[in-house]
Amino acid sequence: MNTENLISFDNVTVSFWQNNMGVHSIKDLVSHRKNPFTNKTILKNISFNVKRGECMGILGRNGSGKSTLLRTIAGLIKPQEGTMTINGTFAPILAIGAGLELELSGYENMNLLLSLYGKSRKDTNAIQSIVEFSELSDEVLRMPTKRYSSGMLARLAFSISVANDSDILIIDEILAVGDQGFQVKCMEKIYQVKAEGKTILFVSHFPDDVVKICDTAILLENGVISHRGEAKIICEQYKSLF
Amino acid sequence: MQNITRIYALSKRNVILRYKNSLVGFFWGFFKPLLYLLILIVVFSQVSNIDNFVLYATSGLVFWFYFANVTNQSIASIISSAGIIKSLNIPVLFFPLSETLSELFNLMLTLVVFSIVMHWFGMVYSWKLLLVIPAAFLFSFFTLGITLILCSLNVFFRDIGILWTTMQPALFYLTPIAYPESIITNHYAFVVKFNPIYYFIKLARGLIYSPDLPSLALWMHCALIASVSFVFGYFIFNKLKNQFISAI
Repeated sequence: MNTENLISFDNVTVSFWQNNMGVHSIKDLVSHRKNPFTNKTILKNISFNVKRGECMGILGRNGSGKSTLLRTIAGLIKPQEGTMTINGTFAPILAIGAGLELELSGYENMNLLLSLYGKSRKDTNAIQSIVEFSELSDEVLRMPTKRYSSGMLARLAFSISVANDSDILIIDEILAVGDQGFQVKCMEKIYQVKAEGKTILFVSHFPDDVVKICDTAILLENGVISHRGEAKIICEQYKSLF
Repeated sequence: MQNITRIYALSKRNVILRYKNSLVGFFWGFFKPLLYLLILIVVFSQVSNIDNFVLYATSGLVFWFYFANVTNQSIASIISSAGIIKSLNIPVLFFPLSETLSELFNLMLTLVVFSIVMHWFGMVYSWKLLLVIPAAFLFSFFTLGITLILCSLNVFFRDIGILWTTMQPALFYLTPIAYPESIITNHYAFVVKFNPIYYFIKLARGLIYSPDLPSLALWMHCALIASVSFVFGYFIFNKLKNQFISAI
């Protein structure tokens, strides 16, 4: 088995400018009493490796930095300190409906996201696989996505993401919305992707799902990796947080 | 090549979104300056003593609307694409750039339609009309520079967008579009001289309205303003772009 590191993080720190402006902004701004921005550290000294074909779960409370970590891995956020190496391509991050343009129809969204992902517009195979996987009817796909239910949005978003032939699949809390049939289908797809030897990063608030899918896991607490190791053990740690 | 596909897809999205649920759709690019022209004719044509007021005003208006549309559409382009920016790794520059390109396409169509209509209003067809194309490209670089500054600052201070739309009429009336340059007294001439848009409008007018070619000095002037604006805008945008994701 190929054991090269697909993702490796070494002491990565991510911080953002945070807007300090409140109701008294103009006054504070003019009197120079307050800098309008402060630097807030979101992730501190993050180090981990993910091997090719590995499936890593990311657990943590709300606001512990999970989404920021995923965005850093996907290259959307540049870290201030530390080194990160990524050897692979990504499917778009699967947050619920993120990246979908609500005024556009399902088909228009597919075309847009596939092109943004760098696929040719004439790639009818990709479109077909999205339509088949999402199980949404032609009529629904012609509607603007603003009229979709959250479950339908999740179906479309998930189907578009898995249609991309990428090395790393990032799943951000998506399985909570779809109906049972679709959840089962998603899990099957994830197992299939895993069996193909692809790498998966899986964020979820359901430790049972994480144990089922992931080999390893990390637990984030206030932007720091507090525990790292085998998925089963980390999930127990996560449960003990509450 | 992949990036061209992406910019094309974004530009197409902009056009679809802008004219969704609109009856005449893309033709607003043409109707908007036309309606404005009617207003200007009613208000100004009796006051000013310009020969062929319609052609004089149109040559400036078409370019002015290009500038106004690009800045107004792009100013929120980063904020409104938050969903895509947070889930796909594509250069943020593509968002204002695609807005500029879809408006540039709109401008080209508008120019074609106007060049047919304006023939009745005494526009003379000659080879120098083709020079409008390089002039439009220079103007695009200028506009893109301003746009990059506005849209990146607007991410952090949403006041910029509101301020810009409010101040736009002032900028419009500070530019000699609806009135002749000659009515500005020497005392206030500096206001016009410091207005970068004035030079581009003068260039467009030289090509479309007046019989003489615009001077080489004017071309150089415009090229200089365009490059300063673009380089400066690009610099600011690049400085701030890594912080966008946390603010949108």
